Order: sequence, then C-alpha cells, then structure tokens
Amino acid sequence: MSGKILNMVRVTDPIERIAHWLLAGSCLFCLFTGLGLMFRSWDFIPALLGGLYATKWMHIFSGVVFAFTLIYAFMMWKKDCAFEPDDAKWIAQGGGYLWKTNNLPPVYKYNAGQKLFFWFVVVFGVLIVLSGLVIWNPLVFPTAVARWSYALHALSALVIGSFFVVHLYLGTIGNPGTFQAMTTGWCSKAWCETHCPRWLAEREKDPSES
Amino acid sequence: MKKTEYIKLIDTTKCTACRGCQVACKQWNEMPAMRTRNFGSYQNPPDLQWNTWTLIRFQEHVDKNGDFKWLFRKDGCMHCTEAACIKVCPSGALYHTEYGTVGINQKLCIGCKACISACPFDIPRFNQQTEKIYKCDLCYDRLKDGQQPACALSCPTGAITVGEREAMIDKAYGRLDQLEGKGIVYGDKFVGGTHVMYILSEDPAVYDKLPVKPRIPASVILWKNLFKPFTLIGMGAVAGMAALHYLIKGPHEVHENKEGDE
Repeated sequence: MSGKILNMVRVTDPIERIAHWLLAGSCLFCLFTGLGLMFRSWDFIPALLGGLYATKWMHIFSGVVFAFTLIYAFMMWKKDCAFEPDDAKWIAQGGGYLWKTNNLPPVYKYNAGQKLFFWFVVVFGVLIVLSGLVIWNPLVFPTAVARWSYALHALSALVIGSFFVVHLYLGTIGNPGTFQAMTTGWCSKAWCETHCPRWLAEREKDPSES
Repeated sequence: MKKTEYIKLIDTTKCTACRGCQVACKQWNEMPAMRTRNFGSYQNPPDLQWNTWTLIRFQEHVDKNGDFKWLFRKDGCMHCTEAACIKVCPSGALYHTEYGTVGINQKLCIGCKACISACPFDIPRFNQQTEKIYKCDLCYDRLKDGQQPACALSCPTGAITVGEREAMIDKAYGRLDQLEGKGIVYGDKFVGGTHVMYILSEDPAVYDKLPVKPRIPASVILWKNLFKPFTLIGMGAVAGMAALHYLIKGPHEVHENKEGDE
C-alpha cells in the first residue's frame, strides 16, 4: 500500500502509535491526578473527578496502565533509541535547534534528543512506578524506604513532567509536519530527509518495506 | 483565629501504670477492644492500634549502677507544632486546632497512609475496614466544651495534667526542681514544641520507641519544600523556554528540496 500516497512515508506502525498514546495518556492522566493530590489549592481536579478518594484510585489505576505500557514501549523502542557515537556530536551542536550549525551528523530513526527523552522516561518511569508501588502499600516496607519513596516519586514526576513539555513542543508546533507521525503515521518524504535521512535511505534501498 | 494553646504534661515519675487512661480513652472515644495474646509483659495491647490511641509502655530497665527500674510511658500523639503528618496530608484531614493540637477529620481522610511514615513518633494507625487513619486528638470535643481530656480526668495520681501552654512549661520545669535534677523535660525543644510533654526519670534514649531528637524527616522536607513547588516551576520554566524558542528561533521547518541541512 506504500505508493498509494505520493511522496509520503509511513514512519510508525499502528502498534507504535497505540503504545505511544497509551503511555502518553496514562502519563498525562497521572500527572493531572497527581497534581490534584499534591496541591490542595487545585481542588478543582478532585472536584471534577468525584473527590480525592476517587482521584487517588484513578491515579493508581492509571499508574498501572503506565507501568505495563512502559515495559512494552521499552522493548519496542530500545533498539531504535540505542545511542551511537554520532549522537554526541548531535548533542554538542544542540541538534541545530539552538544555533546555526552546518555539520549535524545524519540521523537514523531518532535523533539524540529523542533518544535522551526516551531514556529519561524509561529511567524515571521505572523510578516513579517502583516508588508508586511503595506509596500504594507503605506499611509493608521499612519506614525509611516508604519515606524516601514519596520524595523520589515527586522528583520523578518533576523530571517527567518537565520533559513532557519539551516533547510536546518539539512534537507539534516546534517541528511542523511531525505530529502526524503519531496520528496517521505518514510523514512527507521531505520531512524524513530532514529528520531521519539515514533511515529513509535504507528504507528506499529495500523494496520489500511498505 | 489563634486561641489559647494547651499542653498535656505526662509526669512519668508519678505514673503507676494503672492504665486508667487507656480505658478512659477507649470509653470516651467509643473504641472497641481486640483480643490480644500475652507476650510476657503487662503492656497490653502490644502496640498502638487504630482503636488504641494511648498505651502505657512497660519497660524493664537496669541503670548504670545495676539498679532495676520499671519504666512506664504513656505513648500517643505528641501534637507537634511542626507536624510532619499535617505537612504530608493531601486532604486536610489532619489539621491544627485552635489549641495548637493536631485534630483529625476522618470524613476527609482518603487512607493514603502518608502520615504513618512521615510521623517521627510512629503514631497514626490505619483501619483496613474503614480505610481511615486513627489517632489521639487530645479530646478536641472535650477541650471545646471546657473539659479536660478523658485520660487526664481518669488519672488517679495526677501524672496527666492539661493546661495553658506557658503555665504547663513552667510546671514541668518546676517539677524538675522538686525531683532535684533526677528528671528530664521532653517535648519543648523540637518540632516547634509538642503539645504533649513528658517528665522522664531517665535519659530519653533509654525509652522504647521514643526518638531522642524527633524532627520532620528530611525526605518530607525535600518532597514538600523542593520537589513539590519545582514540579510547577520546572514545567512552567520549560514551557516558557519553548515559547521563547518559538518566538526567537522559530519552528524547525522542513526544506522541500534540500537534504538534512541546518
């Protein structure tokens, strides 16, 4: 079905997009309910969701969805997001986002910034899930473990929340033509030449790819 | 808003461990008893429970001179001024009353148990059935009515007394003079001062489950004073930087006819 859309390339498959939105949806819902649980002045959140007790359980269930999706997403993207030597050069030049550069190493599927985001989500995602499990059942753990889990949970939320804003910007208005990678899955060939040239070249060599 | 602060002074040197306060507490607060097993001590139940808000701890102690002593300490909420439980409570179920004590509104409690690990004295207890937290509220209802707490009323030796803050601190140090230096005042030197104070006959380190230097845990301070505000500050700062990037540098456009430049 490839040639059907002229000058368009399918950059993600449906499973990737479903996993992405499950991860993003559960993460954002956890962020939303988490803010409602943490800031008493934001009581419009629990008011909207049927009270603080209900919000607590929604936060936990959403966290469970996040945990399982994170495992799947990790298995799925770890290969594409493995670092390679050229990534250091990409980072050193700010990926061309911050100042003019003219010798950015050509990117394969994901650039070093995207890889960094992935690994930050994996590491702090694991931390937030593990500390969340402790906070869910604090009495079965030693007091010190329970105490530090609350701090770790909040720190992880801070990191993931901040990186999420960067991801949101770069995935939408910061990079026109990118958002559809996670909706229809089709991006323009010109977009691929800009963002993932090595991957595009390899794909065009192999006619069996869709 | 602020009325008179009250302090409950527990003079362990006068305590005979009759446990009248334990019974009075259960009776006034209508808390049921649970069957327990003797573990070789008169201390019963073995620990604080959701339905036991105060407990006389029995402790056999041999001092430096080889003298045997039986120590009794009435355990329960210390009603801290800088209360870790209130700091972590997400619902406002735990709060400071006008007497400076730590009140509890169970209707608001969501059973998150955050207060249990935060408390430096290990006081709050969780009830699996009601999914709520329970602890001593220093008989808030009785204080409002001008009555002394049930435990104080029941005490036959005058070991438990309640009064206005300054007067009770004076009373505590006055009692030290009577004891000719053989006592220690516990409660006014940390967590902003507790609203339950002890006169101890031994060094605080001697007593079971009594922290020598209680404080709000460092993890709670990091969590609430640093990470919590920085969740919003961090996300806001990043959003601001993204907006500035968009306005100054502009979006990263795709160039139709050129390969991976910029």
